[in-house]
Amino acid sequence: MEYKEIFKSAVQALRSNILRTSLTMLGIIIGITSVILIYSIGQGAVAFITNELSSFGTDYFQINPGGSQISTFAGSEALTFDDLEAIKNDASLTNIKSVAPIAMASVPVSSNEEEDELLTYGITPEVFDILRPEIIEGEFITQEQEEASERVVVLGSEVAKTFFGENSQSVGENLKINNRNFRVTGVVDSSSALAGGFINNAIYIPINVVINDILGEEKLQEIDISVHDPGSINQTIDDVENLLRDRHDLDENDENDFQIQSAQDILTTVQTITGLLTAMIAAISGISLVVGGVGVMNIMLVSVTERTKEIGLLKAIGAKQKDILTQFLVESIVMTLIGGFIGIFLGIVGAYSVSAILGIPFVVSIPAILIAVGVSTLVGIIFGLYPARKAAMLAPIDALRYE
Amino acid sequence: MSDKSPLIQLQNITKDYILGDGQSYQALNNISLEIDAGEFIAIVGPSGSGKSTLMHILGALDNPTLGKYLFKGKDISTYTDDQLAEIRNKEIGFVFQTFNLLSRTTVFKNVERPMMYAGVDEKKRKERVNDALELVGIAEKANNLSNKISGGQIQRVAIARAIIMNPSIILADEPTGNLDTKTSHEIMGFIKDLNEKGRTIILISHENDIAAYARRVIKLVDGKIVSDTRRK
Repeated sequence: MEYKEIFKSAVQALRSNILRTSLTMLGIIIGITSVILIYSIGQGAVAFITNELSSFGTDYFQINPGGSQISTFAGSEALTFDDLEAIKNDASLTNIKSVAPIAMASVPVSSNEEEDELLTYGITPEVFDILRPEIIEGEFITQEQEEASERVVVLGSEVAKTFFGENSQSVGENLKINNRNFRVTGVVDSSSALAGGFINNAIYIPINVVINDILGEEKLQEIDISVHDPGSINQTIDDVENLLRDRHDLDENDENDFQIQSAQDILTTVQTITGLLTAMIAAISGISLVVGGVGVMNIMLVSVTERTKEIGLLKAIGAKQKDILTQFLVESIVMTLIGGFIGIFLGIVGAYSVSAILGIPFVVSIPAILIAVGVSTLVGIIFGLYPARKAAMLAPIDALRYE
Repeated sequence: MSDKSPLIQLQNITKDYILGDGQSYQALNNISLEIDAGEFIAIVGPSGSGKSTLMHILGALDNPTLGKYLFKGKDISTYTDDQLAEIRNKEIGFVFQTFNLLSRTTVFKNVERPMMYAGVDEKKRKERVNDALELVGIAEKANNLSNKISGGQIQRVAIARAIIMNPSIILADEPTGNLDTKTSHEIMGFIKDLNEKGRTIILISHENDIAAYARRVIKLVDGKIVSDTRRK
C-alpha cells in the first residue's frame, strides 16, 4: 500500500479517538518538552556567559594569591610588587601586552551627609583596559596621578549616585577615604550583568596610595595580564606559572601558592556545569520517554484488540502481514511524532519565555530538535513494533470470528 | 490443466479444531467437492453443520487439517498466510453478513482498499471504484462514511468491493442475514446478475428462499455433505 494512504489512514484512526490519543501522547510531550527546554536554556546560559566574558576579552588572565580562591581577600602575601616586576621584566614573555596589579581593601568612605564601607581598588591605568568600563564623567586614573601617588578617586556609578545624587556632577567634589581627603576625578559605569555589580559599586584610587595610606603594607590581591595573541594564552600562562613557582621557591611536589585563571577557564567551568545539568535532565527525560513509550504500547495493544475484526476483514480482502504491520507501526510512529512536535513547540515557547524572564539569549538548538524528532520516531518504532506484529500475525479466521 | 478442469477441487478435506480442554472437534469430515467456473452454489445446513468452516476453507481464510484444495489446479492447502492473502485479494470477493466495511471510512475508500493492496495505481483505482459503485447503484454515496448508510446500502458496497478485483469467485456468507425481505431480494438480484454475467457464486445461507436463487444446493450435516442437488 502507498505510504500516503497508510499515513492518511493512521491519522484517521488516531483522530477517531482523539482524547485517548492525546493522553497517550502526554508522556512523549513532557519528555520532549523538557529536553528542548533545558537544552535551550543551558545553551542560552552558556551564550550569555560567553558574551559576558568576551566583553572583558579572552585575551587576559588573572593571578590571585593563595592556593584557593578563598584566599583572594585573606591577605596572603604570596603576590608582591617584586613578582609583578619580575613578570614585567622577563624578556622571554613576549606575548604579554600589559600587566596590571590590583590591591584591594574595604574602607570607610564619607562625605558630609553619607558614610559607607566600600570596596576600594588600588590600581594602575592598565586596569582600565581589562575592566573596560564606560567613563561617564571626568577621566580614569592616569599614569601621572599613579606615579605621584595623588589622592584622587574614580567612583563607580552607583557610588557616585549614593554620595552625590543622580544626574549631579561628582568630579571636583571631595570624599573622605579612611579619614583622608580625596578629590573625585572621574565616574565609571559598566553595563556588564556579571561584573557591573562589582565595578559600579567600587572606587578606584592609585595603587601606591592604597598601599601607603590604607593597607600600610605591600601586598597584591590580583595581577591581571593581557596578551597580544589569545591563541597562545595557555603557553603564556604556563610560562608565568613557572616563573612564579621559581620565585616562590616551590618544589616540584608543592602546590601553587597562587592561582591563575583565564576567561577561558571560567567558560570551561560553566560549560562543564551546563553539560552535566543537560545530561542529567536528558536522563530524566529519557525515563519520561520510556514511560510514555510504554503508554503508547499499551494503547496500541488495546487498539489491536478492539480492531481485531477490522484486521480480519482487511486480511480477507487481501492485506498481507506486512500491510497490517506497517499500518499499526505507522499509527504508533505518527502518534509519537506528533507528540514530539508538540513537545518541540512547547519547549521552544517555554525556552523563549524563560530566556526573556532571565534576560539570557534565546537559543534554539537545531541538533536538539533533530534529536527530539529522531527519539520520538524511535520510541514509536520500538514500542509500536510488538503490538503491530501481534496484529500482523493474527490468523484471518480468528480475527474474523473474534467477538 | 485443460480449460475444462474445475475451478475448485476439494479432495478429502478434514478440518479439526483443538478445543480449550485439549479435545479435538471435527468440523469437516472427508469432504470432496468440485466447483466449475460460472456455477451458482448455495451451501446450506443447520448451525454447527460445518458450512462456515467450509466457506473459510473455500475462501482461503483457513487451511484444512487433511486433504487437498486445488484452486485452478494448484494445491493451495499448504500455502503460507501471505500466499493465501494474494489468492484472496485477486481471486475471491467476500460479502459477509456483518462487519463488512471499515467504519469511519468512506464508501469510496472501502471499495478501493483491495486495489491498494494489489498496487493498482490511483487513476485506475478511481475509475474502477466509480464503475463498481455505478453498477450496484450507489455512486451518489461514494463520499459518505460507511457507518452513515443503511444495511442494504452496506451490502451493496460490499458487493462493489467484492467484484473490484474482478475475482473468479464471489463468496457470500449469509449476505442477507441482517436485511428485511424486500432488501434481501434486491441484494440477491445483484448477486444473481453477477452470476448471469459469468461469475462463480458460492452462497452460504440457512434461508430456503435465499438458497433458492442458486442452481446447485449442497447440504451439510455434522461436517458431511448429505446432498448435492442441481436445478435445471
